Amino acid sequence: MRRLGARTGSKIVDQIFVAVLLGAAIVFLAIILGLAASLVKGSLPSLRTFGFAFLWTSSWNPVTSIFGALPLIYGTVISSLIATVLAGVFGIFAAVFLSDFAPAFLARPLSFMIELLAAVPSVVFGLWGLFVLAPAMRNTIDPALQRTLGFLPIFSGPSYGVGLLTAGVILALMIIPTVTAISRDVLTTIPADQREASMSLGATKWETMMKVVVPAARAGIFGAIILALGRALGETIATTMVIGNRPEIAVSLFAPSYTLASVIANEFTEATSDIYLSALIELGLLLLIVSVVVNALARILMWSVFRGARSAR
Amino acid sequence: MQAAGEETTAKVQVDDLSVYYGKVAAVKHASLKVHENCVTALIGPSGCGKTTFIRALNRMHDLTPGARVEGRVVLDGIDIYAPNVNPVLLRHKIGMVFQRPNPFPKSIFDNVAYGPRIHGTRNGASLEALVERSLRRAALWNEVKDRLDRSALDLSGGQQQRLCIARVLAVEPEIILMDEPASALDPIATSKIEDLINDLKREYTVIIVTHSMQQAARMSDYTAFFLLGDLVESGPTRDMFTRPSDKRTEDYITGRFG
Amino acid sequence: MLKRAVFTALALLIAGCSSGSGGTTLTGAGSSFDYPFFSKAFDTYSSQHPDVTVNYQSIGSGGGIQQFIQKTIDFGASDVPMNGDELTRAGQPVIQMPVALGGVVLSYNVNGVPSGLRLDGDAIAGIYLGRIKSWNDPRLKALNPGVNLPNTAIVVVHRSEASGTSYIFTDYLSSVSTEWKTKVGKGKAVSWPASGSVGGKGNEGVAGLIRATPGAIGYVELAYALENNMATAAIKNSSGAWVACSPNTVQAAAASKPNVTNTDFSIVDRPGARSYPISGYSWVMVYTKPADPKRGRMIQNVLQWLDGNQAQQIAASLHYVALPVNVQASAQRALQSMNL
Repeated sequence: MRRLGARTGSKIVDQIFVAVLLGAAIVFLAIILGLAASLVKGSLPSLRTFGFAFLWTSSWNPVTSIFGALPLIYGTVISSLIATVLAGVFGIFAAVFLSDFAPAFLARPLSFMIELLAAVPSVVFGLWGLFVLAPAMRNTIDPALQRTLGFLPIFSGPSYGVGLLTAGVILALMIIPTVTAISRDVLTTIPADQREASMSLGATKWETMMKVVVPAARAGIFGAIILALGRALGETIATTMVIGNRPEIAVSLFAPSYTLASVIANEFTEATSDIYLSALIELGLLLLIVSVVVNALARILMWSVFRGARSAR
Repeated sequence: MQAAGEETTAKVQVDDLSVYYGKVAAVKHASLKVHENCVTALIGPSGCGKTTFIRALNRMHDLTPGARVEGRVVLDGIDIYAPNVNPVLLRHKIGMVFQRPNPFPKSIFDNVAYGPRIHGTRNGASLEALVERSLRRAALWNEVKDRLDRSALDLSGGQQQRLCIARVLAVEPEIILMDEPASALDPIATSKIEDLINDLKREYTVIIVTHSMQQAARMSDYTAFFLLGDLVESGPTRDMFTRPSDKRTEDYITGRFG
Repeated sequence: MLKRAVFTALALLIAGCSSGSGGTTLTGAGSSFDYPFFSKAFDTYSSQHPDVTVNYQSIGSGGGIQQFIQKTIDFGASDVPMNGDELTRAGQPVIQMPVALGGVVLSYNVNGVPSGLRLDGDAIAGIYLGRIKSWNDPRLKALNPGVNLPNTAIVVVHRSEASGTSYIFTDYLSSVSTEWKTKVGKGKAVSWPASGSVGGKGNEGVAGLIRATPGAIGYVELAYALENNMATAAIKNSSGAWVACSPNTVQAAAASKPNVTNTDFSIVDRPGARSYPISGYSWVMVYTKPADPKRGRMIQNVLQWLDGNQAQQIAASLHYVALPVNVQASAQRALQSMNL
């Protein structure tokens, strides 16, 4: 009887545990919904005034109180995409190097330094970007791109040093630690027998990594990239300092641009009229929506590319 | 069972092989002659050095930090540890099947095609023919021919292990190393693997690690007995099991320890 | 070393608490332009009046006005006075007085012209409208005889965040160019028309872009330019005089208009042989009749002191421009009208 009682007790403990977990999940859901609801409420004056035109008009004029967010959405998405592509490529290579190629005496300090990079405040990245990267982009990198790939419209036109591409590069540097650290952890969890199987079939170490280990870890690596993409979309200070802050859509990646988060940070404190404030809050709402949409698109892309074959155990 | 006699040629000659993990010797001064187109079984209790020994034959220890190999392993007259030997090319000639089935998380077809693709066979009819031939040789074709594009991880453990064998066969090696290939499988799957190995030795030289003496007795032409890192005794399987020359071998075979 | 730093921090914290607990703490919020001035001035004030501490939060002018309207602070500070709409929302009479004066300079990075660039209103408006695109434009050459202006594209730099500095600068452009006035207008943030213009965050962001970009021109606060020894352009004012920006020339422009009010406060484009044309005030707002008269008297005292000689000298030492004496006097009169 006593033993039976104890079992019942543990069942209650289990139920309490489940209830707590459920509660936590509901709290998170409530926070997100509450956030979205308050953003929608704050955006109402702007939504009423500009309607959907807010999404595809390009004027951002606080003096006349006419607001359109298209250039901001464009700048946000493109700068983050540049960052994600760059950070994806370099981050995965760095992770492969750290997990399987670097000798231990090198791997540990290198990992530490890359993770340290994640702790550098974004304003420091911004200052570095402004004083070091931007001149380098204008004097060296942009001209080189123009010479080699100048036939592409995205590498045409004058370079100011600050602009979409520079912002993308700075963002890439900021999110590489995330991609690298998580990817390395995922790569090290791929069992040694996968590597041995490949090597024993006569594959080189490089082939083993690229054809077996990285594909087996792709779900985790993809998760790391999504996480990094989220940070890039919302990054404010560093982007503001190097993107040029110009609400305009230009074909060239050298041209100045502007992001949703930057506009909010730049103008929120001084926005006194209701419609201005509301338009800025609507930008916040858009940032949330853009994040969700980009995430969803990325997942659909992932799903369609890797459909069929299963992921790592 | 093929007659095990002195007339078969030595495919691999191991001389005075020692393997160290750091300072600990896992295999000490082992010498063994491996005959072509025969099955050689390595037996002995757990931790006796069988697996370490077999992994020395395709230089898998190269991948283990801190592992060190001394002595000579001569394959077709060439010392595989000589500085001019490329271990990647070596492993084309020596395939390996592991204790736990370890198919890649890819489709069945891609698993088998993995080795050929690395070695330069592009997609096409010849690759498809090679995959089919390998799967047939591994006695798996009939079970998977309708679902080659499905994930290998959907197969049962025994099927996965035969897939791993097919994957090795597709590279067309001369020697197949097997490290307790049936230890993780149920009896039916085990007997399928054993039948397969019996069948394979007509074309391949097979070296198999097993802790099952019955398995060694059933399948192998030659047996080598390891104990605590020493290769105690080796010879034709029939001789080993009927009149072992070393007391320790006799104790092990008659079940006094292990 | 670390221990000592922690100890010092603790000591400061305790000192801060004790000075606060003994007397009254007045709170203000708003303009970040005023912050360096206020923090030093209020510190000095507290050392002279140990019973009063003034806590100023640099949250931006807009935020200062919002908090002031909601009456969560004793006074607000803004680079632009409250407008009619905001005064209506405040619901009570408000006194607004100038408290700090600053100039806006044009700095540039032109190869071969380390200093001595000359510009007039038409040229600056032309550049910022995107009509003048190259440094060797005839209009710029005419203003700079004997200067070898290169054939370099002009990169227009502006402040990316909403700021009082941008307000003063666009106020000036609206005064000198009707096209600017109708097309762009004045504001803390505007839609900058020149194609390829870029925004930098804060004075340091604009200065950084100018320094890093050959061909760049941008505007920064006088105090920032002085502290960083930046090259600045001399500007032709409405009297036709060439005036370089300095505390004296800004003060001269301000002194030419002693009676500024919250509706007529612009001091850009002032005439006079020594008047620098791009400058403006920062403002402090108090309610004419504060809810707590005792507190109100303290605020009155603080603000009287703030617009007095001693505090304005502190401002000058920090590269602000001291308020002209006649402006100080009219501010003092306004404060006297507080109903306590």
